[in-house]
Amino acid sequence: MRRARRGDRDAAAVLFRRYWRDAWRAAYAITGRRSLADDVAADGFERAFAALGRFDDRRPFGPWLHRIVANRALDLLRAERRLSDEELPDTPDLAPSHAPGDRGLLSAVADLSLERRVVVVLRYGVGMTPKQIAAALDLPVGTVNSRLARALEQLREALEVEHVE
Amino acid sequence: MSSELERRLEATFAEAPEPDPGAGEEALHRALRALRPVAAPRRGLRAAALAFAAAIVLLVIAAGSLAAAGALHVSFGAKPKPHRATTQLVLPNGANGVAAIVDRRLSVVTKDGLGLEGQTVSAAALSPRALYVAAGIGNSLVALAPNGRRAWSHPAEGKVVAIAWAPDGFRIAYIVHAGHRFVLHVIYGNGINDTTIDRSVRAVRPSWRANSLAFAYVGGGGRAIVYDVGHESRHVVPVSPPVTGLAFAPAGDALALEGTNGVSLVEQSAYRHIAAPDLEAFGWLNGRLAVAVPGLNSAVIHLFAPDGASRGSSRAHGIVRAVTPKLVIVQRGRNLLAGHATLLTVPRGATVRDVQVG
Repeated sequence: MRRARRGDRDAAAVLFRRYWRDAWRAAYAITGRRSLADDVAADGFERAFAALGRFDDRRPFGPWLHRIVANRALDLLRAERRLSDEELPDTPDLAPSHAPGDRGLLSAVADLSLERRVVVVLRYGVGMTPKQIAAALDLPVGTVNSRLARALEQLREALEVEHVE
Repeated sequence: MSSELERRLEATFAEAPEPDPGAGEEALHRALRALRPVAAPRRGLRAAALAFAAAIVLLVIAAGSLAAAGALHVSFGAKPKPHRATTQLVLPNGANGVAAIVDRRLSVVTKDGLGLEGQTVSAAALSPRALYVAAGIGNSLVALAPNGRRAWSHPAEGKVVAIAWAPDGFRIAYIVHAGHRFVLHVIYGNGINDTTIDRSVRAVRPSWRANSLAFAYVGGGGRAIVYDVGHESRHVVPVSPPVTGLAFAPAGDALALEGTNGVSLVEQSAYRHIAAPDLEAFGWLNGRLAVAVPGLNSAVIHLFAPDGASRGSSRAHGIVRAVTPKLVIVQRGRNLLAGHATLLTVPRGATVRDVQVG
């Protein structure tokens, strides 16, 4: 980390390779689109490396990077909501038919509001604690906990409906 | 305690798809370009900073005591609101048009005073004389007139990630992210006769030779390839892979390439290594190769003749975002500048890409 902060490109490349996969997967889980995940994760690293000089290297890099990635994803998705209807958005593919795993659950996650989806992804996809999520999103811990609880409740309901159908 | 649903969520996210290798390489390239060296703190400076911090703490304690005694009114205002983004481009003197992508939104202004702003795009390129702009919108390559009218739209098999318009305007080379591959196409400037050139390339913007008869791109193995559109032939440039950037000179055959070893210049069969890898941007400026190398607060722009001979250097205060044929575009704070003229004010922390002046 210290070498990367001093501008050592090899050290920065090692840092990138260590965290790229996790950052991309977090971006994908929040945005639900491959193409957007590419942009969000790349933007996240670009911003993180540009701001490496301000980073306190006694702290872990991962949560700081995920904070940048999560906020970048939120910014872009919020901006998309405000788009005019002339836009041609990419098709969401969070639960594509060929995807492995629990498609019903992924679809239910994709249906969560942005605010709830991001805390669920950071908690269960990235493994951050509510306290870390609160710091990353600049929210009170209580808000994070209540969003998590409501998101889980909504997911349970969605899965029950799916089960009944 | 973890519930069944929570365990399912963890397991499901653990099975999430993997990023495409090509996207990672492009992101690494961008991230390394953003890297800014930080000087190691000096002992004297550190001591001064500690003394300053201690003085501030004492001041705050004193103010707090006075406030508690009612002798001083201390108030904290509301958090300042974030500055509203200004994204209106200003056309530099002598240019036909200017385009930039800020946070995935395209801004274009042309000489006629017409402009586009706010369209979400994945890549963009101005046509010669800035009559049109080709942009990746959704899964299509679209040619937009500066009044916003769509001249034509061509469906692509994925997101368009790089576009290069030939200097004569007759052809456009573009790269599509299709599935797990990047695919190179050439289409006529009027949107017809789309041809697939290579089904495995890297997401590096192609660069056209001045005569518009050939262009360079980066193949799937990371090598630079020059494709002759007349003869439909390929020539591999003998520079070590991976190549991460390409720029043909605006006249003649000289091709500048950026790779892990820095910038190289190839003309005819002559090869010359020009600059170390740590650079912000490179391109052709007034017929000379300009290589911008980052410093602590400013960039140094080294100039070279097409044969590789050094032509001196100059300094730019800020981060060099692009080298265009007549201007160096520098970002200083939130402002994108060409010389002393502000082209664009961007939101704090915004990502700026594909800045072009035509």
